[in-house]
Amino acid sequence: MTKISKEEVLKIAEISHISLRDDEIEPMIKHLEGVLSYAERVQEIAADIEEPSDKNVNVFREDVVVRVDPETILCQAPEREDDYFVVPAILKTK
Amino acid sequence: MDRLEFATITQLREKLDSQEISVAELLEFFINRCNKTDKKIDSTLEVFDKESVLKQFRAQGTPLSGIPGLLKDNICQEGRITSCASKFLQNYVATYDASACKRLKRSGALPIGRANMDEFAMGSSTETSAFKKTKNPWDFSRVPGGSSGGSAAAVAAGLVPWSLGSDTGGSIRQPAAFCGIVGLKPTYGLVPRYGLVAYGSSLDQIGMFTRSVYDAAIVFSAIAGYDLRDSSSRNVQKKDYTQHLTGKLPENLRIGVIDNVLNADGMSSEISEAVEQAIQVLEKAGAKIKHVELPTLDYSAASYFVISRAEAASNLARFDGVRYGMRDKSAKTLHDMYLNSRHDGFGEEVKTRILVGNYVLSAGHAGQFYENAKRVQRLIRRDFKNTFNDVDLLIMPTHPQPAFKFGAYDVDKLQMDLQDFFTCPMNLAGIPAISLPCGMTKDKMPIGFQLIGPHLSEGQIFQTAHVFEQNTPWHTMHPEGF
Repeated sequence: MTKISKEEVLKIAEISHISLRDDEIEPMIKHLEGVLSYAERVQEIAADIEEPSDKNVNVFREDVVVRVDPETILCQAPEREDDYFVVPAILKTK
Repeated sequence: MDRLEFATITQLREKLDSQEISVAELLEFFINRCNKTDKKIDSTLEVFDKESVLKQFRAQGTPLSGIPGLLKDNICQEGRITSCASKFLQNYVATYDASACKRLKRSGALPIGRANMDEFAMGSSTETSAFKKTKNPWDFSRVPGGSSGGSAAAVAAGLVPWSLGSDTGGSIRQPAAFCGIVGLKPTYGLVPRYGLVAYGSSLDQIGMFTRSVYDAAIVFSAIAGYDLRDSSSRNVQKKDYTQHLTGKLPENLRIGVIDNVLNADGMSSEISEAVEQAIQVLEKAGAKIKHVELPTLDYSAASYFVISRAEAASNLARFDGVRYGMRDKSAKTLHDMYLNSRHDGFGEEVKTRILVGNYVLSAGHAGQFYENAKRVQRLIRRDFKNTFNDVDLLIMPTHPQPAFKFGAYDVDKLQMDLQDFFTCPMNLAGIPAISLPCGMTKDKMPIGFQLIGPHLSEGQIFQTAHVFEQNTPWHTMHPEGF
């Protein structure tokens, strides 16, 4: 049975770039514990075997530059200035 | 054929070719039908206007030319919104056609809208959509299944003759079973995923819903085959899969019945009986039935939980509110903007899966969870491979229960997650499986079963499924009131 502390869930949320409100923490812990306690059973039979020969492999292609109208992409930006995406301050000001 | 709305693609083709009806008239018929009848079940997120669809139409000498259909809203259609049923992407406009969409358009097919789904394809009931709850056309108090619930419900209700969905752990087959129609999850790498918004990249496949096996083969022939834009694409050329539909079973066909599944806990007796009858139909048609055991299947769901959530956490990291999608405009720093945008833009299920994914990948837990899950995946692949030395196809129920009521798993969320139990093993193994209707419960809810084959056995699956369909009445049944 996987147990998750409040500190742990806040750390995972931080890694995930998702904020959690105070009232969301307990339900999230409960949901996570439920899923992970079930998922634990992968340990019961996990064993190393020879890689199946029909495993898919990634195929690569030439990286060819294709011109598209940048406006179709830029026009979807939540905030922009000319051809740039604008974001809030990256570093905190004092 | 009784009614245009429940006509097969082949029947519609004949009407178009004999000029009994024009492409514009047929298009108008289905658009009007979607606009009017979908109010009952809410299967679509958008139905396009006739002119904008016709503008893109080029008549082709193909079976799909001029035949309207729907695409799940995680498959990009150029110039249209692709929302994944998420607030995060509710205004996102696709800048290109997904390969599957492009291939359909090139074969003259007419995508006329976007089908509802679980948010980012994460769910088994379409209840996690940020916009609406799709109802099962057979019983409005029940879910259509998911995550491709809108695509399935629309085809079952006769709103369109075909639709596309995606299947990561069962998201085509389970809704096909719940709605009483045909749904195929193809071999991994056979249908290009370029332009499909990724959930679990090593598992995701695009497939289709139709009301007959022949129609499934027609749509599949249009979308399957190598595409250089998908790095996981298999080097298999396009072909006409309808040529397999001879009306006869493949010679000396051996079908394996997975005993430990048919006797699994929680299996409804109505469903096991319907599947037993399906086995008898195939035996009578000439198939040799063998009984097999696949004990690793009992561990599939656990392995699938870990792998799919891990990949989801990685894939959904791109949604950061910088270049497109939702942004929290009140945040003072970039970091807070990320955190708040993702908090507000994603629903509970999506956030939970991202957190689970990052947990199982994080230092200290990856060995216990992720690496073991990948080992179990290999065992499952090996077991399937060994089994396919003795049998050509496998048969099992698509789901142990018929469609459930809305809110059934609001409290016990783990039971919702376990909806994938009978379908996710094929995604882990990368093998194809079709779900076919094979009966009705006493409450008049459809029952489905799966035919499963080794990699690239779609031809054989279609051939066998077609024989089953010809010997049973289930595909001719439609929900009342449509």
